[in-house]
Amino acid sequence: MSIFGFLATVKLGEATSGGGFWMPEGASTVAAEVDEVFYFINNINYFFFALCTFVLVYFAIKYRLKPNHHSGFSHDAPTHNTPLELTWSIVPLFLVGVMFWLGMDGYLRLNESPEDAYPVSVTGQKWSWTFQHPEYGVTEAGELTVPLGRPVRLLMTSSDVLHSLFIPAFRVKNDVVPGRYSSLWFEATRPGQYRLYCSEYCGKDHSKMLAVVNVLPEEEFQAQLGKLAREYEDIEDRDLPVYALTRLYNRCASCHSLDGKSGTGPSFKGLWERTKNGTTAFTDGSTLADYMRPGGEFEVPENYIRDSILNPQHYIVQNYLGAMPTFKGQLKERQIDALVLMIKNMDRLVDEQGNPIESPDLGDADISTGAGQ
Amino acid sequence: MTGDPRPLEQPTLTDNYLTYTRGFLSWALTLDHKRIGLMYLCSVLLAFLLGGIFALLVRTQLLVPEGLIMDQDDYNQAFTLHGGIMVFLVIIPSTPAALGNFVLPIMLGAKDVAFPRLNLMSYYLWVIGAIFMVYSIFGGGLDTGWTFYTPYSIDQNSAMGGVIPAVTGAFILGFSSIFTGMNFIVTIHRLRPKGMTWFRMPLFLWSIYATAVIQVLATPVLGITLALLAVERAFGIGIFDPTLGGDPVLYQHFFWFYSHPAVYIMILPAMGIVSELIAVHSHRHIFGYSFIAWSSVAIAMFSFIVWGHHMFTSGQSPLVNVVFSFITFSVAIPSAVKVFNWLATMYKGAISWNTPMLYGMGFIFLFVIGGLTGLYLGTLSTDIHLHDTYFVVAHFHYVMMGSALIGFIGGLHHWWPKMIGKMYNENAGRVAFVLFFIGYNMTFFTQFMLGSHGMPRRYATYPADAGFQMYHIISTIGSYMMAIAFFMMAAYFISSIFGGRRAAANPWGGRSLEWQCTSPPPHDNFSEQPEVGDCYDFSVLRWDEATQGYVWREDVDRPGEKSHA
Ligand code: HEC
Ligand SMILES: [Cu+2]
Ligand SMILES: [Cu+2]
Repeated sequence: MSIFGFLATVKLGEATSGGGFWMPEGASTVAAEVDEVFYFINNINYFFFALCTFVLVYFAIKYRLKPNHHSGFSHDAPTHNTPLELTWSIVPLFLVGVMFWLGMDGYLRLNESPEDAYPVSVTGQKWSWTFQHPEYGVTEAGELTVPLGRPVRLLMTSSDVLHSLFIPAFRVKNDVVPGRYSSLWFEATRPGQYRLYCSEYCGKDHSKMLAVVNVLPEEEFQAQLGKLAREYEDIEDRDLPVYALTRLYNRCASCHSLDGKSGTGPSFKGLWERTKNGTTAFTDGSTLADYMRPGGEFEVPENYIRDSILNPQHYIVQNYLGAMPTFKGQLKERQIDALVLMIKNMDRLVDEQGNPIESPDLGDADISTGAGQ
Repeated sequence: MTGDPRPLEQPTLTDNYLTYTRGFLSWALTLDHKRIGLMYLCSVLLAFLLGGIFALLVRTQLLVPEGLIMDQDDYNQAFTLHGGIMVFLVIIPSTPAALGNFVLPIMLGAKDVAFPRLNLMSYYLWVIGAIFMVYSIFGGGLDTGWTFYTPYSIDQNSAMGGVIPAVTGAFILGFSSIFTGMNFIVTIHRLRPKGMTWFRMPLFLWSIYATAVIQVLATPVLGITLALLAVERAFGIGIFDPTLGGDPVLYQHFFWFYSHPAVYIMILPAMGIVSELIAVHSHRHIFGYSFIAWSSVAIAMFSFIVWGHHMFTSGQSPLVNVVFSFITFSVAIPSAVKVFNWLATMYKGAISWNTPMLYGMGFIFLFVIGGLTGLYLGTLSTDIHLHDTYFVVAHFHYVMMGSALIGFIGGLHHWWPKMIGKMYNENAGRVAFVLFFIGYNMTFFTQFMLGSHGMPRRYATYPADAGFQMYHIISTIGSYMMAIAFFMMAAYFISSIFGGRRAAANPWGGRSLEWQCTSPPPHDNFSEQPEVGDCYDFSVLRWDEATQGYVWREDVDRPGEKSHA
């Protein structure tokens, strides 16, 4: 893009995404409270900033060294003044005391999640978010659907490095730590879609680790989750590859391309060919063919794909690092089947450039997942 | 009055430390604190250029939402190296090691620091550390952020291969910093001249002293932490790695236990410089001397018990968060009062608008913004929203760059005539300051709004429809203005060496001892130990048109001199 090209794309009026100059529009019960504390501090700061700047500029001009008056500097100006010094120590001390108190008070409430909060389990992994709704048996990726006007509690963990879940409109944030649980809660007050960011640096695609929070009124929420709960149950086997490409592939996309370019992981294009022929080489010097002999672990090649998804550290493909997180426990059996079928039929699903084909012809597709063979 | 001229009035150039001996080895193996200071200065400025280039790459990338010039991996390296170089190679050594080395012994009227050989060793440790740091770029790359957070940094599959060279570099730089600190502590204790009691020391020395105490006490913790990190990455022994039963958050505690005090290693010396700049260029006794002195020490002590405020969202217990928030606010007070003291020093002064004074005033303005915006971050409920966003980036740049680095640059303008013996072009200095100051605020003030609207830090790309781009564009333009200002500085400093007017011994009218020897000082600084007076009493000086410097008034006695009556 040319340097001037992008300048033209900037819309001046959109400098802030709703809300005020300082804070974006809030959409949760705590947002208003946090903003109140923010603006309280803001007012005090405006005052002190104005005071200091005024005094600085005023003195600088008023007491400016006059030309040709380079000597006879007085030594009588006060060098200390106890009442003044006490005042300017104690007044700020009092003010920051109030700030501390307000901040603590708000924080402790932000920290106590209500008993009856709607639970969601969150897993952060490089570089996507997975949201599980235990009450519905639904797993979402990249999108979190929550009810309006009901407290929601996120129980979070990471399957690799540190992440941090941040929803600016709700004024909530908490780190997501591997090997332990952390939590946060919010109650959305306006239906709509809100951005969710990863705010703790986590590597290459940290800035792509985004999701959307979808706040729906209670009835719509229940309908939506009911629909999601049945989603892959109702799908015909024949439609599983397309389902995987449209609904599941986004969790692999940051590492696996569809057009043959290798990224953090090998491209899905041509992967099945390699697997079927056993030509994939591993870092330990073995090749897939070594395990495909009769009685071998991968006599059925589909099982290699399964194993790659569930135990990615097991065999590491040559020229790559063991960077893939496990999806064990995050995908349902049927979803894993769908991914296996997607990879098997990749050349029918996408064109040469890796773009999905509108309505792919899967009439004679091989839809055996290798299970039971 | 006798009519005879006083030899000390305008010291004559007997010899000059710059040309005292010649040849490469006479510099490389020098034990002269002034030469070591100058070598530090050149090295630090070179590192600053490198860190600045990475900063410009980062800013240029963010002109467009999808990133203008780099892919994610390159961007991640750019901001990591920018941070690592600026913190470890530039700001931490800038004032203490470069300016402090030059000025401190002369301010004490001493010939050198207490341990000149250790001083030279500190310098070479810096060089070796710097080589390791820069090597990490080629030895696999470094993309952990300057904080090296675990488990990312210890995961062979996540972080790039340069982690071990980089932490080795930081480890070695730590020793450089510890040795400098030790050296200065001993020097200030042992080499103060007759008559210079603790409370007659120039405030710059107080701040260097407080800094040195932190350097000696806190830096070993960083060293051990980084050593553990390297061992963990290489051998996987399970300290920080959760899959081996380690605790990744423990690393953050260790890291900030050093790195919060390190914030004061960076800012305290700058505060010391500003105390000198404001007093000398206002020709007015500093207001509240003992408070400023004590507050340096108080800040140094408090700095050890506030580290947890970097971790409010790390999952540490709410009680711990409340306690850290509380203590953090108590550090705000000594800093605030310093500002009031500086302002009060200008009251009824005779303020010359020299370039160093402009930086002194610029410091106050930027430090006020940096300090006040810290209040949102010390307050728990607002910090939850602002943590790890550009708001924090803006805040610490106001403190680290707007204050710590500006103090250093102000000090450089202040002591340049002393160090080099030449005056730079005053008008060019003022123009560069104005350009820098405007560019600075464009770059970083916008980042407050970016952060409060939710832009997380360390993002190579950002959503196009979130309203962030306008701020990023202003910010980037500001950073280019700063770059131009820095090149102007380089130009007028360098040209002053060759074409500048000779500097008088005391061009600004300072009273501390460094203004009583020639510019540049002789090899031994003073031929006889100078007498110490009140270093903030400027009424005894007068301007001398002939030498373009300040001299002792004929009608006032020098300290230690018999009355002429
Ligand atoms: C964080 C990056 C990352 C993500 C996300 C990821 N993978 Fe991987 N994947 C890798 C890497 C790196 C390798 C190669 C190393 C290895 O064999 O483990 C790999 C290897 C594989 C392989 C074996 C490739 C071969 O050439 O034999 C399969 C199959 C696979 N991944 C499937 C998936 C699926 C399906 C998903 C999404 C549900 C996914 N991966 C998500 C990084 C990732
Ligand atoms: Cu992240
Ligand atoms: Cu800190």
